Amino acid sequence: MTRNNKAKHSRTSLRILIGIVILIWFIITGRIFQLQILDYETYSPISRQNYIRQEFVSPARGLILDRNETILVENEPIYSITIIPSKFDMSKASLLADLLGTDQESLLERVREAQQYSWDRTSRLYTEVSFEVFSNIQENIWQLPGIGHTIESKRHYNQGIMASHAFGYLREASPEDHERSPQLRMGDKVGKSGLELVYEDYLRGELGTEYLRVNAYGQSLGSYNNGELNQPPRKGYDLITTLDAGLQRLTEQLFVGKTGGAVALDPRNGEILALVSSPQYDINRLAGRLDREYWQEINVDRNTPLYNRAISSRQPPGSTFKPFMGLFGLQVGLITPETVIHNPGYYYRGRQYRDEADIGDYDLERALTYSSNTYFFWMMDRIATRGYFNEWSRMMKDFGMGILNSVDLPHETAGLIPDSTYMNRTHGGERNWGVGDLMSLGVGQGLVSVSPLQMAVATSVIANGGYRVQPHLVRAVRDTEGNESYTNPNRERIDWIREDHLELVRTGMRRVVTEGSGRYYAFPDTSASGKTGTAQNPHGENHGWYIMYAPAENPEIAIAVLVENAGFGSQTAAPIASLMQEQYFTGGVNRDYLLNRVLNFQPAVEEEIVVEEE
Amino acid sequence: MVNLKDFNWTLLLTWASLACIGLVAIYSATLGEVSEFLPEQIQENFMRQSIWFAIGLTVLAFIQFVPPRTFQLFAFPFYLFCIFLMILTIFVGVEVSGSQSWLRVGPFNLQPGELTKLATILAVASYLTGKRDASTGNLKTALVVVLLFAIPISLLFLQSEAGVALVYIGLLPIVLFWSGLPYAISLLMISPAIIAYFTIIDLRLGILAAVVIMTIIFFIQQKKWLSLSSLLLGILIVIGTEVALHQVLQPHQRARIEAFANPTVDPQGIGWNIIQSTTAIGSGGLYGKGFMQGTQTQLRFLPEQWTDFIFCVIGEEFGFIGASIVMLLYLILFIKLLLMANSHNHPFAQMVMVSAAGLYFVHFVISMGSTTGLVPIIGITLPFISYGGSALLTNTILLAICLNMDFYKRSFSIYR
Repeated sequence: MTRNNKAKHSRTSLRILIGIVILIWFIITGRIFQLQILDYETYSPISRQNYIRQEFVSPARGLILDRNETILVENEPIYSITIIPSKFDMSKASLLADLLGTDQESLLERVREAQQYSWDRTSRLYTEVSFEVFSNIQENIWQLPGIGHTIESKRHYNQGIMASHAFGYLREASPEDHERSPQLRMGDKVGKSGLELVYEDYLRGELGTEYLRVNAYGQSLGSYNNGELNQPPRKGYDLITTLDAGLQRLTEQLFVGKTGGAVALDPRNGEILALVSSPQYDINRLAGRLDREYWQEINVDRNTPLYNRAISSRQPPGSTFKPFMGLFGLQVGLITPETVIHNPGYYYRGRQYRDEADIGDYDLERALTYSSNTYFFWMMDRIATRGYFNEWSRMMKDFGMGILNSVDLPHETAGLIPDSTYMNRTHGGERNWGVGDLMSLGVGQGLVSVSPLQMAVATSVIANGGYRVQPHLVRAVRDTEGNESYTNPNRERIDWIREDHLELVRTGMRRVVTEGSGRYYAFPDTSASGKTGTAQNPHGENHGWYIMYAPAENPEIAIAVLVENAGFGSQTAAPIASLMQEQYFTGGVNRDYLLNRVLNFQPAVEEEIVVEEE
Repeated sequence: MVNLKDFNWTLLLTWASLACIGLVAIYSATLGEVSEFLPEQIQENFMRQSIWFAIGLTVLAFIQFVPPRTFQLFAFPFYLFCIFLMILTIFVGVEVSGSQSWLRVGPFNLQPGELTKLATILAVASYLTGKRDASTGNLKTALVVVLLFAIPISLLFLQSEAGVALVYIGLLPIVLFWSGLPYAISLLMISPAIIAYFTIIDLRLGILAAVVIMTIIFFIQQKKWLSLSSLLLGILIVIGTEVALHQVLQPHQRARIEAFANPTVDPQGIGWNIIQSTTAIGSGGLYGKGFMQGTQTQLRFLPEQWTDFIFCVIGEEFGFIGASIVMLLYLILFIKLLLMANSHNHPFAQMVMVSAAGLYFVHFVISMGSTTGLVPIIGITLPFISYGGSALLTNTILLAICLNMDFYKRSFSIYR
């Protein structure tokens, strides 16, 4: 190549090189332009999602208060110790084990589990540690890198009251719950029974959201934008119940070791003052993380502690049924106040029906006072033979028996007041049943079955002058601002009940307490009217019933008590009701002898368990 | 007869600007909020780089007093010395992040591989201009040049520094091209890379590239056999690439190569770096998120953000404006160096200047291509900006030599 040629070649080469440089430079600049200007809208959100994590903040569940706004159920913090394995200094394991009060082996086992979940994310190391352990760890947190804590909450029950069947327990939401309410997150707990279930939507509150900054390892670096976007959770509504803390506590105590149920109502409006089913489960043990062992235990317990006897039990009311029979008889004209029936010690209709009351003549008032069966067998005979059966059934249901009373608790039973349709169905036609099958209904035995709640409602009808009230546990729900919205329970006059008839029955019931079977344990300071009952139990010892209202003249409380396998109602159920009456009116119990008698009473053990299902 | 006006101040200023932008980016990438997630050693990077910058400036100034002929005279001894250092490194080197390429000298870790780039450029330039009319048009001369490159390349592979080796491989065609290799042959030489690149993106693009290259070669050289053999080679490359991708390579290796074309296939694995780096740059927008405000940077979503991915820091925190300034500075660097070569009379100086521009450009293309998702991710630094003392010093010395020869171009006679 000549020099000239070479120079020319150089210039061409240079142009080519410069051309290539500029071409590639433009490609790269174009790519940057594409990324930063054209696709900015694509990449900007990606980068934000990258480092902002949305977290949900659980709301505090609403409280449950009694009628005087004493807190019965509140939330208690559960402290859990957490770990980020990648930041944890393994040489501190022995210190941490000491603080946790555990051995190093099991601690390291937990750390390994956490590592398996994630090295860089927070895992729970120990859940539900005591406050003492929690604060010990907090004091030493500076020498425990990677260790943190979370605070969750569980239910705490105050005032020595469990009321497990009224409050109910919480459990982790099931797939069905998640379907029903999309707001629920994995691991959230929802009410599964009692008020917690019925008022779940009020109690739960609304989830809050929190925006956190996270790094590439998913570690949280605190709040995004100083928390400006955060939506605080809304606390659940508080339930103001109608429960009387003192009465509830006493009733629970009285039922320890016994099987049965009791309901105390304000007969004027249906407010439930106390509701107890015994045996209870220990609601505290179902409050925190699921205690599987205990859950198993109460599910297989032959005393069925999960079963709410106060509203689900179906037992014959026995003689406590008689006042309502009287009202019916008077109304349809089968009897008058002057009707007198002779009791020779039995009533004969095809066979002898026994009567424990003294031999003699009984009018309605006397028949109630001394609980003469003959009077009511005689009446039932006429109901059956003169075609009053269905009318009887319909009118007895007006008292709240054999129907649902729409209490604000789950699993309420309707019980049974039979009618001809029912008899035909169960006996296979009209010809297969007759008066003989109905006779025992007149004294509250046989097919009639009711719950303590129903008896309390029925007693209220007598006490309040003929109104059927809707029993309810919640008077109002209160939002976070303190606004209360009241529940609107029904109260309905039963139009066929006449005041003069009621007066007659009331007098009879009053005399039960003053001179009849209820007189032994009557509380002397306030007047009461009542009726004992004994439900025949083919499987063992009879069940004792007692219904009562007080004061007799102007009732403020109506009580129904059922004690299973306790023999005569006058021996067991009546003292319980009497003590409840004393507690309600005086705020305490002074009759220690009676209290001890009830506490020490041991009912007979049932030989065979009959599982009662609705 | 020295006139300070003859000094290329523009290039010096460009160099200083790039290095300062680098320091700002390194500061943000290692000393911001991100420092919480970084080992302490990394947090010292800014201080170390500042010292290296000062050393670089001193060396640059010092080199301006060296007679230009010195570089040519000592080119070969220096080359041999560097090769010796590289061999030494293989035996007594320190391993840093998986590659045995570091030599501990006092408080500093040096990478002889960096210095060897400089030595190779000088040695090749010296060889090609040592005898009159030496052109790589001559096969023997070309083979010697290839050999001079092959020695450090093989040593780098022994040190598991494939990324740096790639720079030599990229630089070689530029050197051969400048020193007289016929254009058609030059194009043929780089055609495998171009065709393979397009084949990875799409098989049809690869075939198209092969046909286009054949056409260009035909127009340049007008030789049917050459054009046809280029097409044959092109098709072999396409087939070879396809076979390599689908038969030879394990699926995870293939994924690594193909990821740049489709990062969403494996967003947590191979695609992670590409997604995070393009997200960092893209989310910077026009103005950027502000110094030390880049969430991708500060929350450690980027790997190696003070070295290979440093452009992401600039793109995210200073936006398109900041990125454009960096791009313009590089454009000035390349064009100025090439024009400087054009205006020089001495072939040694020309060769060194073109090689310098070529070296910076290869680094620039691979690094920018990797971070913006244009090419598969190859860990390579951005000249003057990325953290790394050896690289900064080597690049600075090379630039200083170019400045020196340009400064003395009237006294640097082509005659001895």
